[in-house]
Amino acid sequence: MKILVIEDEQALLESILTYFTGEGNICESASDFNAAYEKISMYNYDCILLDLGLPGGEGLELLTRLKQLKKRDGVLIISARHSLDDKLGGLDLGADDYLVKPFHLSELKARVSAIVRRKNFDGDNVIVFNEINVDVFAMKTTINGSQVVLTKKEFDLLVYFLSNKNKVVTKNAMAEHLWGDEMDLSDDFDFIYTHVKNLRKKMLEAGAADYLRSVYGIGYKFGAI
Amino acid sequence: MKLSNRYNKVNIYTSLIVLIITGVIYYVVIHFILTEKLDRDLAVEENEIRQYTATYHRLPLPASYLDQQISYEEVKEKAPEREFVYTTYYNAKENETEPGRRLITTVNLNGKTVIVNITKSRVESEDLVRIILFITLAVTIILLLSLLLINRLVLNRLWKPFYSILSRMKAFEVTRMENIEEEPTTIDEFNELNRSVNAMAEKVRKDYKELKSFTDNASHEMMTPLAVINSKLDSLLQTESFTEQQGALLEDIYHATGRLSRLHQSLLLLAKIENNLIPDYQDIDFKEMVQSKIRQFQELFERDNLVLKENLEAVELKMSRYLGDILLNNLLSNAVRHNVNGGQINVKLTSTRLTIANTGKNTMQNPRIFDRFSKSAESEGMGLGLAITKQICNLYAFDIQYEQVADKHIFTINFNS
Repeated sequence: MKILVIEDEQALLESILTYFTGEGNICESASDFNAAYEKISMYNYDCILLDLGLPGGEGLELLTRLKQLKKRDGVLIISARHSLDDKLGGLDLGADDYLVKPFHLSELKARVSAIVRRKNFDGDNVIVFNEINVDVFAMKTTINGSQVVLTKKEFDLLVYFLSNKNKVVTKNAMAEHLWGDEMDLSDDFDFIYTHVKNLRKKMLEAGAADYLRSVYGIGYKFGAI
Repeated sequence: MKLSNRYNKVNIYTSLIVLIITGVIYYVVIHFILTEKLDRDLAVEENEIRQYTATYHRLPLPASYLDQQISYEEVKEKAPEREFVYTTYYNAKENETEPGRRLITTVNLNGKTVIVNITKSRVESEDLVRIILFITLAVTIILLLSLLLINRLVLNRLWKPFYSILSRMKAFEVTRMENIEEEPTTIDEFNELNRSVNAMAEKVRKDYKELKSFTDNASHEMMTPLAVINSKLDSLLQTESFTEQQGALLEDIYHATGRLSRLHQSLLLLAKIENNLIPDYQDIDFKEMVQSKIRQFQELFERDNLVLKENLEAVELKMSRYLGDILLNNLLSNAVRHNVNGGQINVKLTSTRLTIANTGKNTMQNPRIFDRFSKSAESEGMGLGLAITKQICNLYAFDIQYEQVADKHIFTINFNS
């Protein structure tokens, strides 16, 4: 997929670019309003990551202009402003999602993947990874052609892993993804383990290769061994 | 006491006092003047009698005087002093006893001293005084009444702009970015009040805006480095060349940054609730909300082997969905966090109250349990959860109570307090 990252904080921009590049993804970046406007008017992107506070102009203004250009690029707003007004304003202007800083890169990737899936396949939401076939829309998982019954949490977890293939995903990020970041879950994420264990067991039983492994006790990595 | 009432009261009292004093003075002065006039008339008569006596050497006939009564007396012992006295006398003409003014004097008739009593009726002058007094009284009473009426009508009309400005000020909310409309008036004072109130509102709004943008900016500036730390940690993790020990260190850093961002968000949230900046006020099926929250916490209950007992009745509440979510989050995570392994949580919802009770360590009662950053020593939370809960309850006028019965810690929220 082709992604444009509009972010003025260089360090954050670099991290995002590094995390997203690879696996056939093309990432471009812009760190101020004018550069961003130039890029969105000249090219089409699958998804635009948009920071709201930009040097040279308001991020929301870019959204309006994107609308004026009649572009169908997916837009994910990343902002430090935890304000409901901004959120609703951004979504009203046609943004697809809103993520508040600080966020986990894995969460960002999962959300971007979801937006791109919605935009590109127009309802045909199927993720294919080797023998695993996941229909996100119908919430159906098949391995080697036979269906695997997963709970809602296990299914969400699998989609999350598939969006972050070959990346180490922390338990913290997984918990926030599955239970929401408002939950104030204390610092003990061991209960994640049960879900990961069950998911892994069901996939192995269905004949999938063992793609999941634990990393330093911090998190998990899903990908070809 | 209203200004107009106070003003009326002062007005009436002073008017009454002034009226009484001037009435008395008026009466005395007019009475004095009329008596003077009577006395002068009597002196004129006396003079006439003297001249008559001196010319004709006899006393004039009493009957020849129409307006006054004259009588003569012989001096018996000693001639009296010349004096004016008040008296009553019989008026033959009117055939009645009337009040009068009498001059007692003496004339020399052929070497003999004769006492002369000249009496004049006082009825007319008394009548005059009475009429004047009556007219004055009537005029002042009419004056007072009209003054009262004018005060009532005109003052109310005059003060109307003031009350309308007042009601606008009461309705003024800094969060809604609207002006206090000017009430058109021709009165200078009210125009000035209008201007001052508007200037004040403008200043308050400006200050508020500055503060808000300061908070926004501060939060932005703080969140950005945090976001950088977080993303760098995520990136660092991908390099995968760590020992187990370094992994543990990384995890600690993750926890610390997570806490920092949660702390920051909690503080922002508290400020927002206090300023009533959460707009999505709506009808909420609270029972459904509690049920879904319990489902969300299922894994945490299982982790600590907690037994949940729920007893829920249907309740509809008017509040923000976002805040309702946070309220339940805080109470339930509190009940999990301070529980013991294999303990209990009882959630009871009736139409008037929500009760969440959990087993826990038998800690001392803390009267500051709802204060910010107040937490027990072993708590791993930030001490903001219950402060936020309390603040949400305040916002919707719910009453939240904490009590400890035996080993149970009980939080009760009363919806209609």
